[in-house]
Amino acid sequence: MPIQINMSVKGKEYAPFAVTVERGKIKEFARAIGDLSPFYLDDAVAKAGPWGDIIAPPTFPITFRDENADTGLLLRELGVDIGRILHGEQEFEHFKPIRPGQTYLCRLRVADIYEKAGKSGPMAFVVRETTVTDSDNDIVALMRGTTVVRL
Amino acid sequence: MKYAKVYAEDIQIGSEMPALAKPPIQQIQLTRYAGASGDFNPIHQDAAFAKAAGMGDVFAHGMLSMGFVAQSVTDWLGVGTVRKLNVRFAAIVRLGDVVTCHGKIVAKRPPKDGDGPYLVDLDLWAENQKGEKIITGKATAFLPSRA
Repeated sequence: MPIQINMSVKGKEYAPFAVTVERGKIKEFARAIGDLSPFYLDDAVAKAGPWGDIIAPPTFPITFRDENADTGLLLRELGVDIGRILHGEQEFEHFKPIRPGQTYLCRLRVADIYEKAGKSGPMAFVVRETTVTDSDNDIVALMRGTTVVRL
Repeated sequence: MKYAKVYAEDIQIGSEMPALAKPPIQQIQLTRYAGASGDFNPIHQDAAFAKAAGMGDVFAHGMLSMGFVAQSVTDWLGVGTVRKLNVRFAAIVRLGDVVTCHGKIVAKRPPKDGDGPYLVDLDLWAENQKGEKIITGKATAFLPSRA
């Protein structure tokens, strides 16, 4: 029996949350991917480089999550078990480098939810958009992720 | 060490990036990526959970493969050059799979104000060892001019 997804979550905006980027987390993330660029890993090399410090790899903002929020909340609101989800699409736009020690404000909204017949049965697509701004209120990055739910 | 590895003058439409072949996916890398990213979905860690969910066995985080794709761009064009990156996850990556990332330039735009960086668009894809596409995507990157 296919599950029913709670479409009323579409358009929901979550309370903005702040994230402070830790130097060690940038390095841990780059190493986990196996990307050993000194501009992510080597403080001395990066200090002499164009940004005066290490910066984060392009996909690093995926780590930005509200530490005080219940991480399973969105799936529960959708009425979806974690075993049913797959990552369908992901996009990042970058406007300024993401730097260690900086605090960023993230605003997450559920931009869209739609259903479609997939190869292996009915699917729902949940599109989440996150806007990341810095202390100057400049947009640093935009993220758009599509989660596929096997209904 | 310069950060931009390639200048706009070195790149033409059709230029291909050097392929980036990553080591075979091992469980330890998925565990490490879970810790680094904060994505602890058990479907990437727990074979019994993955089987019960109908997925047969654990599989890699899509974001790990996207990280490989991002690396393929920055290894070629330089860290800090990526303006935009988007991917579609086309197939699941399993333990033991070898992911190889590819790309080519599909557009090149001169600076709007005369002396800023060029912008280039890339088509990107990653394949497993059977030649099946596991990711398709696009990127836009800044490239400095030699001028």
